[in-house]
Amino acid sequence: MRRRRGTRRRLIAGRLRAAGGAGGALQFAARDRGARDARSRHRRAYRALVAAVLWLAAASGAALGGAGCRGGAGAPAPPGFPPGAQVLHLAVQDDVPTLDPAAGYDTASWTFEQMIFDTLVRYSDGGVDLVPEIATRWDESPDARVFTFHLRRDARFTNGRAVTAADFKYEIERVLNPATRSKGMEYFREMTGAAEFQAGHAREVGGIATPDPWTIVFRLDGPDPIFVQKLAMPFAAAVPHEVVERWGEDFSSHVIGSGPFKLAQWIGGQRLVLVKNPDYFIKGVPRLDAVVEEIGASDDLQWLKFEAGAIDVSRIPSAEFLYVMKTPNLRALTLHIVDIATEYLGMNCGMKPFDDVRVRRAFNYAIDKHKIIALLNGRGVVAEGVLPPGLPGFNPNLKGYPYDPARARLLLEEAGVGKDFSPTLWMRADRTEMMIGQSIQQDLALVGVQVELKPVAWAPLLEAIRQPDTVALVDLGWEADFSDPQNFLEVLFSRKQWGGNNDTFYYNPEVDKLLAEAAPLTDRARRYALYNRAEELVVADAPWVFLYNPVAYMIRQPWVNGYVLNPMRPTRLEQVWLSPHGRGRD
Amino acid sequence: MTRRLNAMELVGAVMVVSLVLTALFAPRLAPHDPTRAVAPTYGDPGRPSAAFPLGTDELGRDVLSRIIWGARVSLIVGLAAMVITMTIGVAIGLVAGFFGGAADFALMRFTDVMLTLPALLLAMAFVAVLHPSLLNVLLVIGLVSWTQIARVVRAETLSMAERDFVTAARALGGSPARLIAFHVLPNVMPIIVVMAVLGTSGTLLLDAGLSFLSLGVPPPTPSWGRMIEEALIYFRTAPWLIAFPGLAIFYAVLAFNLLGYGYLRARGGRAGR
Repeated sequence: MRRRRGTRRRLIAGRLRAAGGAGGALQFAARDRGARDARSRHRRAYRALVAAVLWLAAASGAALGGAGCRGGAGAPAPPGFPPGAQVLHLAVQDDVPTLDPAAGYDTASWTFEQMIFDTLVRYSDGGVDLVPEIATRWDESPDARVFTFHLRRDARFTNGRAVTAADFKYEIERVLNPATRSKGMEYFREMTGAAEFQAGHAREVGGIATPDPWTIVFRLDGPDPIFVQKLAMPFAAAVPHEVVERWGEDFSSHVIGSGPFKLAQWIGGQRLVLVKNPDYFIKGVPRLDAVVEEIGASDDLQWLKFEAGAIDVSRIPSAEFLYVMKTPNLRALTLHIVDIATEYLGMNCGMKPFDDVRVRRAFNYAIDKHKIIALLNGRGVVAEGVLPPGLPGFNPNLKGYPYDPARARLLLEEAGVGKDFSPTLWMRADRTEMMIGQSIQQDLALVGVQVELKPVAWAPLLEAIRQPDTVALVDLGWEADFSDPQNFLEVLFSRKQWGGNNDTFYYNPEVDKLLAEAAPLTDRARRYALYNRAEELVVADAPWVFLYNPVAYMIRQPWVNGYVLNPMRPTRLEQVWLSPHGRGRD
Repeated sequence: MTRRLNAMELVGAVMVVSLVLTALFAPRLAPHDPTRAVAPTYGDPGRPSAAFPLGTDELGRDVLSRIIWGARVSLIVGLAAMVITMTIGVAIGLVAGFFGGAADFALMRFTDVMLTLPALLLAMAFVAVLHPSLLNVLLVIGLVSWTQIARVVRAETLSMAERDFVTAARALGGSPARLIAFHVLPNVMPIIVVMAVLGTSGTLLLDAGLSFLSLGVPPPTPSWGRMIEEALIYFRTAPWLIAFPGLAIFYAVLAFNLLGYGYLRARGGRAGR
């Protein structure tokens, strides 16, 4: 299972990769580097020109009454809304890949899937904890192998049918079915009977039982303390089998769910409109009447539209970020959140001279992380270790490496690293990466190491880091799929991930032992204590230069209320509402 | 050959000389190391001030020093690429024009094909495949810019090859190589000089373009095109960061164009006659 560079999470170019028992985790290059790649180099080249043209377009659009820039000539008109309706306007660059929860595995798809569909549990707003959605409560066996969910009885699909346990079972079996080719398959493979089902030896997954319509029981082959988090992925949403069977592959365009919104219009490459589900099981939710997302608007166009008041929430293009932060009334409209992610400089422990821990520590002392944060205009916090703050199990007492070039020089001398040492730093070809790369290059030059920067496209970069003895230095990042330390430590530092996600080819038998011991534990205190011990060992061994935890920024109009950035998922829109007299548009 | 330079030539020559001197004496002229941070203006470029007349960039480096060192890279690339361009262009033009027939047809159709490909696009493709480095960049620029020169030199050679003095030399038993080297080339030289000077501004621009697209000389070596590219993020808050390297490119291109056109004008509008 792997994901290419789309954006599963807001603004992040990343992908999910096979992660054994630990489930997936998202490898990403950096915040604010959305779905761009080599292509973007060209785009950059005439960005200034495009911006100028767009200004003219936006200005003339505004002159024609403000609505002029929505909808192309000849396109079907957007559904009309009565005056005063609560309509949230958004704009994105790329079309939403899919609305089918079995297929979507990127930010854009998940944003809308979680509006249309319901899962048993979901992450709390702004948090990393699970809260009930369709489930009213759930029980976990002490060995973390049996999970029983009790469902609410008032949830209905928008076609009128009640949501039952069978609908969840149906969707998970659909995801597991090889014919569906779902990227979510690996998350449910450890269910009892999943292998037989996938091989075609069983008609259903034996490990999923529905003793009555309002109860569902999952049995696993082995303990998995983070299993419930997997059920919070849209892959495990309730879908009506009769609708899926009717439309087949086309289900994505005719989705029916039980969520707070339902699909009203989706014109590929142009517009996606969701309207309120009046029968949603929570009264008074959603507060919006509709969400209109305009597709095909570049970052710059989105920004111009935002400034013109034509859209309600926007990303902040990097060229505008400093301007926004220096303009008090714009700055007041920004929202930010520290991602459950860590940016690092990986050093290949199998390659000389990085097999010497003194060299790796020297690099940690030599690189000025505060400078990098300043370069990012504050879109990051200094990382002391592997786990990002906000992740359960984060150790606030962990001390990493301070900036100390004198000590770095001393360590390099001790290790006998001479002047001819000139490692190559691999990185994504991207403006922000290059800036950070140059900063690292400057810092290391001060301690006598001349680094050569090697910007490469995303796919070849990911290919290269899997090869042993190829990449000595690499600038990468990792983002959590699940809020658990296992999702970082086991996935990135265990021996069995060599050639997989352990891109520094790090191996410490003691760390591996701790990881194996911690994995099945359900007692959080004991679990986190073991992971913290493992993290301390990793920090001491320093296979990474622990750089920073990225901070994501968004901006919303003053009339937008209840817009909350979430660390684990795209923002949920059902609690969003608009101040009635705030906007000058409708 | 002694004649007074006209105003255009004079200004152009002074500007070119100033560029060359800047490039030669960059280590002496630049107040700071262009690759090191000299002010803590990380992420928020510093305004021009007494200490840093052109400000400091997002990595705390002195913009003036970077522009001065950038002149070195630009001139090396511009001039070296021009030498390659001239060598290829003149050789193809002379051979095609002098021998005519099948050689002319083959070489000129090849030139036409090359002309249809936009130089920047071709250079981008080459550099992307090769590894961006000083040598590769100037080689690539040289390899994509020779077409116009080949055509002009061929046209001049064609007319020269039929002149009486060439026929006379041939009658005296001169070998083709000798005829080209001692009779045709000296007479085509003026236009070659003009094309070389004007072409240098073209190669400078191409270099800036490649750098702008992150395909130029890799960092930390300062280059004007990359400086503009890196400054784009700060367009709203630090426009001078784009303006100064932009002016440097403008100055260099103007210098070579003034010199070239001034020389052209001095020779009566049409070079080579």
